[in-house]
Amino acid sequence: MVTGIGAVTPAGWGVEPFAAALRSGRTRIGGFSRFDHAAQRTHVAGQVPPEPAALSRLRGWHQLSNTDRFAVGAALEACHQAGLPWPLATPDAAVFFASSTGGLFETEAFVQTLIAPDGRAGRRRLLASYSLSAPGEAIARRLGVTGPVETVSSACAASALAIDQALRAIRRGEVEIAVTGGSDCLCLTTYSGFNALRAVDDRPCRPFRADRAGLSLGEGAAVLVLESLDHAEARGATPLAELMGAGASCDASHMTAPTPDGSWAAEAMRRALDDAGLDSSAIDFLNAHGTATPLNDAAESAAIGLVFGDRASSIPVEATKGVVGHLLGAAGAVEAVATLVSLGASTLHPTPAGGVLDPVLDVDVVVGAPRAVEALDTAMSANLGFGGANAAVILRRWSAA
Amino acid sequence: MTDPDTGVVITGVGVVAGRCCGVDALDAVLQSSTPLAAPVESHSPYHRPGAAQLGVVASDLDLSAWLSPSASRRMGRPSRFAAAAARMALIDAGDVAFDAPTTPVVMSTAFGAVEATEQLLRVAHHEGPAAVSPFGFTESVANAPAAHVAIALGAHGPNVTIAQREAGVLTAVGRGAREIASGRARCAVVGCAEEMPPILHAFLDRFDALARAGDGVAEAARPFDRRRNGFIAAEGAAVLLLEAEPAARARGARIRARIRGFSSAFDPTAARIGWGHGHGALAGAVTRMLDRSATGRDRIARIVSGASGAVEGDRLEAQVLHALWHDAALPPVLAPKGHTGEYGGGFLAAAVLGAMQRTAGATAGFAEVDPRLGITPHGGGPLPPPDVTLVSSLASGGAASWLLLETA
Repeated sequence: MVTGIGAVTPAGWGVEPFAAALRSGRTRIGGFSRFDHAAQRTHVAGQVPPEPAALSRLRGWHQLSNTDRFAVGAALEACHQAGLPWPLATPDAAVFFASSTGGLFETEAFVQTLIAPDGRAGRRRLLASYSLSAPGEAIARRLGVTGPVETVSSACAASALAIDQALRAIRRGEVEIAVTGGSDCLCLTTYSGFNALRAVDDRPCRPFRADRAGLSLGEGAAVLVLESLDHAEARGATPLAELMGAGASCDASHMTAPTPDGSWAAEAMRRALDDAGLDSSAIDFLNAHGTATPLNDAAESAAIGLVFGDRASSIPVEATKGVVGHLLGAAGAVEAVATLVSLGASTLHPTPAGGVLDPVLDVDVVVGAPRAVEALDTAMSANLGFGGANAAVILRRWSAA
Repeated sequence: MTDPDTGVVITGVGVVAGRCCGVDALDAVLQSSTPLAAPVESHSPYHRPGAAQLGVVASDLDLSAWLSPSASRRMGRPSRFAAAAARMALIDAGDVAFDAPTTPVVMSTAFGAVEATEQLLRVAHHEGPAAVSPFGFTESVANAPAAHVAIALGAHGPNVTIAQREAGVLTAVGRGAREIASGRARCAVVGCAEEMPPILHAFLDRFDALARAGDGVAEAARPFDRRRNGFIAAEGAAVLLLEAEPAARARGARIRARIRGFSSAFDPTAARIGWGHGHGALAGAVTRMLDRSATGRDRIARIVSGASGAVEGDRLEAQVLHALWHDAALPPVLAPKGHTGEYGGGFLAAAVLGAMQRTAGATAGFAEVDPRLGITPHGGGPLPPPDVTLVSSLASGGAASWLLLETA
């Protein structure tokens, strides 16, 4: 069961500003100031606004990296909604988290100071959050968790894989509560790298459009609190949704390019369906990875065709990255939260208007305006990452009946 | 509760550790008195004057028996180590029925691809972002080694990279084993890969994590020793092939060990960089693993400890072990990081070897008991017959993981 959610996105700190941004159909991608990008080929990204004052007053807050702060902010919101006790000092509580950059933004500042012509010594504090495991550990330290704390760093599929690990840990009875999700921060390394790959659009990204020209990077975090139903009911918590299943696969063919026929991405989706005990006909909509790179959207559309067959061109598809950008290791968690928001509102969120949908892809992307649907019950969220890592999760609106 | 890990066995081991390629070469080192440490390249401006000078580096290794030159050119160093070790593991496993569509790859890294990231930043800083290499960026992601292992072996199961500092390596093994135990896979490729470029070596030194010469002692890793003052940083990779035991037995595989249990936990008293004081809770996590697997402490014939010579890390490790045994005498304690260093593949491969050995070399670097720790690691020579081995790895920052390995 999902009993709490939290989000920190370019739309703001909290699920509510994120949900409002999703409903609005307006992008939060634009100019940004996280670092000097004057010499870059492109100049847009989704940047998280400053944190609320209440968070910045937390003890130790200013020692944390940006990625850690996003993670802790989202986790506190999710745990508050779930009504979890504090501290969570039980071996039955765990953190399964994801990050692709950790404290790389702060480490860059250290390295740039060192390699500058005057070679000044960098501040050692900037290195203290370098580790990719730091965001998950920051959550665990804040919550007092004594159970497993594990970090997945598998590029853009990382937080979907972390959610998968959390689900399995609860099913096996390893733990009763899992705080899961992902966090990442804009930084020079990823911005320069994706630009070097010519994978970044110079305008806000346009998933599944005929003239799509690449992704837009974003930053932020999302967290889901998972519990067994018995545990949630025993403590009087109200489930928001059921995490029904998860599946994963690997293309095992290329470091950056997805398999064009989408076969292994489709396999991850099928494995999630098998894990949930569902047929693809049970899926009411798909929250797609939808990076807006020519290769990703084509491969993902092919995968949708393989999984959904005759329904491929009619199953509604959400493309969250058009609103907040690509949050890398946090993408899977952010999009899982977006999926839950849509399930809760019985309304699919649009990706911002502009451009013509690519007729070759033949998918029903929700564009420009929200789409109310009478019976939204079950949804899939999919992610495709560097190195061919694919993952999908299936969420269902909770009904006690 | 039934043990979720029973029925998974290790049938193949591949390792690149310093100058060692292969498990036999590593075994010979572990039986000797000579650790793998060697001088590392000092690099300005990263290394400060007087910085640590030793590391376990895997430079100039000929990996061509396991990795073609064309494949190697497309990889960063940690990916090369991982892909070569994966090939070694498959060869070591013999005629394995490798189920490509479902086989997961679960690799771990403590720091990710540091050298590629540093090069990217250096180029961006000095020459501008337009000069950044797309190849360098693709190799800067932490999951590059796991991806290259999957590509090399054609493994289409879940591809997961665990990043949990020193604890990640055992977590990767545990998670891979559970993929098999849950029925999602018949075999799994698991392990770790790390590089130790000058920038990372220097950064670890800036945090006073590395062993230093001084006070009349040479620079060395000294697990549990009174004079320990840090670890030796290492690079390399280790990869294990795990199989469902019935399938392994059906094909007549040589079974190196059975995975009898896995557990992980967190000590929230630990600082971001450092070890905490939550030994009681950590010992509780091990106790629950023993209970789940119906393993009495009296069956643990030896401990393969992750003690590395870190001042506070070894202190916490000793406290956890004493808490587990209620201050009674411990079984023999092997501390292979005296030979292999911290990170890289040496420790994991040494743990598998340690679970099987009847004799072991003396613990490198150990000479004086630390009365505050009260642990004397194995001094060399025969060991009691192997049965169940506890493998322990505590991480800076609070994470911890353990495996129970059993002779099969």
